[in-house]
Amino acid sequence: MDGGPRTPVPKQLFAALLPLLVLAPLGAQAPLRVAAAADLEPLLPPILSQFERATGIHAEATYQSSATLTAQIENGAPFDVFLSADLSFPKRLIEAGLAGAAGPGDSAAPITYARGTLVLWERKDSHLLPPSLDVLRSPALNRLAIANPERAPYGRAAVAALKSMKLYDRLKPRLVTAENIAQAAQFVDSANADAGLISLTSALTPTLFADGSYFVMPRDLYPPIEQGAVIISKTGQRAAARKLLDFLLSPAVQAELAKSGLTPVR
Amino acid sequence: MSAMDWQAFALSLRLAGVTTAILLAIAVPLAALIVLGRGRWLAAVEALSTLPMVLPPTVLGFFLLVLLGPRTAFGRGIAAVLGHPLAFSFDGLVVGSVIYSLPFAVQPLVAGFASVDTALVEAARLLGAGPVRLVSSIFIPVARRSFLAAIVLSFLHTVGEFGVVLMLGGDIPGATRTLSIVLYDQVESFDYAAANRTAAVLLGLSVLALAAIYSTSRKRGSEQRA
Repeated sequence: MDGGPRTPVPKQLFAALLPLLVLAPLGAQAPLRVAAAADLEPLLPPILSQFERATGIHAEATYQSSATLTAQIENGAPFDVFLSADLSFPKRLIEAGLAGAAGPGDSAAPITYARGTLVLWERKDSHLLPPSLDVLRSPALNRLAIANPERAPYGRAAVAALKSMKLYDRLKPRLVTAENIAQAAQFVDSANADAGLISLTSALTPTLFADGSYFVMPRDLYPPIEQGAVIISKTGQRAAARKLLDFLLSPAVQAELAKSGLTPVR
Repeated sequence: MSAMDWQAFALSLRLAGVTTAILLAIAVPLAALIVLGRGRWLAAVEALSTLPMVLPPTVLGFFLLVLLGPRTAFGRGIAAVLGHPLAFSFDGLVVGSVIYSLPFAVQPLVAGFASVDTALVEAARLLGAGPVRLVSSIFIPVARRSFLAAIVLSFLHTVGEFGVVLMLGGDIPGATRTLSIVLYDQVESFDYAAANRTAAVLLGLSVLALAAIYSTSRKRGSEQRA
């Protein structure tokens, strides 16, 4: 027996590990996959940790612009929940039959989980006066950064606010358009733009909070930025997805959203 | 549905043309230096000239935005010379594109110059040719295909440049809104029909340019065989 040909160890190891490789994914519970709008990136991770402690459900978030996430979901991205920065993208998915607010058939509207706040942000060492509506009227304002109004909800709100103030036509040649709200903030933070209309969630992130100051734009100047959530129709984890939405709407989490720059809806 | 954005098309061609011209002026002497020179520091020069390929383009764009912005002495100096800040301007995109596309001009030239028969180079040197004469009379004619490749790659890479333009440009029509930005905007706005048209123009341009380069090198190959 001892003198017989010996199978090389690596082969034995491989044979022993092969079933494990196949079985491992079946043993672990798949995480709840959350497609989240980029403005949630500063605040969602701790909320998802709290959610896991409270329910035992592990959720993983992917942060992108709402438009990119929508295109990905339309093309079969394996998400369970979509937290958009507005209502138009969730509605688009509902109309395409790809998502519902609660379950199949019950697809009236996305659930609004928070409202966004538009602020005017400047660096503290700016040559302009501290942020206020007068800064937008000032001839010294050379470059105003906004997010792309075609698709970024805060960009849309920024243009609406400038139009309500009858400043849009005058400021249009001085606008620099960024891909998203974070990039608009970078334009200002790097001092290449004098000021920017960005989200309060961005203005409250540690770097921007340290570098600059903000002015909350009056809410009657732009239509509300309602952030809507939907459950993706083909999810295999509808109950867990439902729990996450309920958790987001719970008083404790809503209070936390308020601290991070979103307006609670409850 | 939006029509084809010819203003952005013209802007992309202008940006790529200006960038390619500047790149050749930089890359030909640089490649000759790398191939002809002696010394370890040349390895550092070659590495540095390849480095823009490593950084994600939006990150490179962000660094340029900071470097060329009014918060650095360099940025303030340039703004003083030009009379306007570089960010969000066509000139700023040229600076960004030259840095971003540098490896695509230098690499083919280095490869081409290095493949020139050393006997030819030594003979020219013995006959008293200096570096300029070596490049103009030996390197460029003999490594013609690499020279053409450097031009086409720099040009196309600049036309297709996205991340740097996105960060440095600010999407201003006629000044910084290039064709690749328009294409990205169309895709992100779900205007797939317009995106298809824009992409078709970009692809058509690239196929034509590449076919041109490969047909000339093919012609040369068959002449040699004959």
